[in-house]
Amino acid sequence: MNGVVELIGHAGGVARLSWDALKATFRPPWNINLLVEQLDHAGIGSWSIAVLTALFTGAVMAVQFAVGLEPYGASLYTGKLVSLGIVRELGPTLTAVLVGGRVGSGFTAEIGSMTVTEQVDAIQALGADPVKKLVVPRVVACVIMLPLLTILADFVGCFGGMLVAMNEVGITPRFFLEQVIDTLGVVDLVHGLAKSVFFGYFIAILGCYQGLHTHGGTEGVGRATTDTVVAISITVLVSNFLLTNIFLKIYG
Amino acid sequence: MAEQTTPVTAVEPIISFKGVDKAFGSNVIFEGLNLDVYKGETLTIIGGSGTGKSVTLKMLIRLLKADAGSITAFGEEVTTMGPRNLLGLRLRIAMLFQGAALFDSLTVAQNIKYPLIEHGWKDQDKMDARVREVLDQVGLGKIEHQKPAELSGGMKKRVGLARAIAIKPDVILYDEPTTGLDPINVRRINGLIRHLQATLGVTSLVVTHDMDSCFTVTDRLAFLYNKRIEWVGPPEEARTAPLEILREFVKGGSGILTEDLHI
Repeated sequence: MNGVVELIGHAGGVARLSWDALKATFRPPWNINLLVEQLDHAGIGSWSIAVLTALFTGAVMAVQFAVGLEPYGASLYTGKLVSLGIVRELGPTLTAVLVGGRVGSGFTAEIGSMTVTEQVDAIQALGADPVKKLVVPRVVACVIMLPLLTILADFVGCFGGMLVAMNEVGITPRFFLEQVIDTLGVVDLVHGLAKSVFFGYFIAILGCYQGLHTHGGTEGVGRATTDTVVAISITVLVSNFLLTNIFLKIYG
Repeated sequence: MAEQTTPVTAVEPIISFKGVDKAFGSNVIFEGLNLDVYKGETLTIIGGSGTGKSVTLKMLIRLLKADAGSITAFGEEVTTMGPRNLLGLRLRIAMLFQGAALFDSLTVAQNIKYPLIEHGWKDQDKMDARVREVLDQVGLGKIEHQKPAELSGGMKKRVGLARAIAIKPDVILYDEPTTGLDPINVRRINGLIRHLQATLGVTSLVVTHDMDSCFTVTDRLAFLYNKRIEWVGPPEEARTAPLEILREFVKGGSGILTEDLHI
């Protein structure tokens, strides 16, 4: 029972922080340097994780489909299945879970350290708003970068699938690409990218919320960082299910 | 009711706590806290660990909100102040945090410029000049380009103080300014508190455990005990005050105090 009350309390806290961040986003002055710094940290610093994850996910999906479809003589459709799976589901979701683990925990560790050393208090005492200084650039950066990383993951995932399909099934790159283009519509891309916008928001807001509520010194920072990774992973997976259902109802 | 001694020269307090309550969950920190601070004085709050000394400072600049009661600064109510007035208040009341709270990712110069930028300064040359001026005031040389991690504890405190005085505040809040410092740095920080009061005419509100520092810098002493200010007066009178626990505290009997406070 206590756990449920605590969870509701955290949900309320995250909602409140989101509202404060939304208000602060549209309130001048805007500091572009802070945003660029976070775009670099969240996006540029995460591309290698996104690429590696997508490459091997696409590859392993192609192996499974090639082998699984062979008895039915349908191995040729590997490209269709891989591309659909990557673009609609695994591209956005795996990118969010892995990048979220890296970026979200980084946010918590950084802001949490600032909280326990009173630097967040100092920001306020010096006349600034910690939400505007710390939370807004991170949320905006993640909301921008997660879709871009997802696009990259989609391409690389399909490429990984194509490499395997060429070797395992003997499909030519041209045939694979024709299947991908035939299969994927704009709706599929929008579906995956729209989810990644939400995932970017969840990653940043949860990382920042945990950081701002860190207590208990350096031990507390470690605990908060671990909690963030768990919270982001669960939130991404659960929200993926809900968002997928919503988008399927909207776009079919 | 707490006994309060008013300095002869003072007329109206510039800071006033009246009947302030504060609790963190079931942990009650203050019940009916009363305290007045007068212009130009250095008032030191002493008391055991966990009695809420730092909370007092943080409530004054609304880093923490009081649950009940009134806190006024320069005649304005702090507890209900809007964001714009709060910004003005934080321009007039600066704080030196216990660990200095310098921003690790910024250089010393950027740390000191931080409040200047927040309060509307735009001219880089003027800001650079102000950085050099305040670093001189706290006795630090050319360390503008160093990061906090490269500084000693005493230097961090002095940079924190330089950052606090950069905006020329009327009041400076010192949270444990000498904790964790060697005797030379303790003397240096105490000297700076006195020097800033004498040269800039700032009012100082100090929170400390360090009785030697307290007697060096303070004009009046406030003893926080039993969730309120139990005694206020000149430091020399603390040794003969009617409150036994205060006499013990001043003598250095912190063991007895801790036991009595059930900390």
